[in-house]
Amino acid sequence: MAIRRNSGLLVEPPSAATGDIAFNLIVFFLVCASTQPDSGRKQQLPKSDQSQQQEQKQENVQVELTRQNVLINGEPTLMKDFIKRMKTKLQGKTRPEDKIVVVKSKPDTPYHHWISVTTRIEEAGGIVTLQLEEEKTVTVE
Amino acid sequence: MKVKRKRLKVEVPSMAMGDIAFNLLVFFVILARAQDDGHLQWTPAKAKNIESAGNSKISIVIDKENKLFLNGQETPVGQLAQAVESQLGKLPAGQRTVILKVHQDIAAQRFEPVIEAISQAGGDLVHILEEEK
Repeated sequence: MAIRRNSGLLVEPPSAATGDIAFNLIVFFLVCASTQPDSGRKQQLPKSDQSQQQEQKQENVQVELTRQNVLINGEPTLMKDFIKRMKTKLQGKTRPEDKIVVVKSKPDTPYHHWISVTTRIEEAGGIVTLQLEEEKTVTVE
Repeated sequence: MKVKRKRLKVEVPSMAMGDIAFNLLVFFVILARAQDDGHLQWTPAKAKNIESAGNSKISIVIDKENKLFLNGQETPVGQLAQAVESQLGKLPAGQRTVILKVHQDIAAQRFEPVIEAISQAGGDLVHILEEEK
């Protein structure tokens, strides 16, 4: 008696769990994806020698930051007018060294205010440089 | 007449388990970061027109508790310039990016010395911010 063999063997990988696998992978990607921002703003900080600092004080635009306010060359300025006034101050200055804007902050100036102002300075075409207070040790005899 | 029921053997299909494990390993390795500062709590300041920060070896964080961290390790500000300089080594210009993440309410007396230290070390500073809508 000839035994008929079923030669058409159909082998399929088990796919019953494919949906679960896909769902889990999506969840892992979403969980592992970082929610922290990785975009921002570059800042070029020109290095200035101490010998040049006195000259810069007189020639360059000075911006002073307090906790909530901003002053351009000693004049209080509203944030909505800041870019316009800064562009006016920088008008006609073509050399990069003339476009340097010296930013001096009060110790309690918050970071978000500092970022807001320095962003506007760069939008107006200025180059931000910081003026920090020097600490000196004085010996009293 | 008794009809015998067939006992169905139910097995969870496990043929693809090896592939799944390999893929998950690859995904976690790709997403893992060398600088582990994900545990630090800080809120970014907002700004318009921000752009991608790119890759960087160095990440400096000032968190909401006013603590300074370099690549996840708490560091005094006096040692920051030297530490950044040693990490940057002799990298050419264009590859000396230093990422700075500062909590939005931190005062200038805290973050300005950090910016100065990065400048002294010759790093290219990138402030990490959130897009202002």
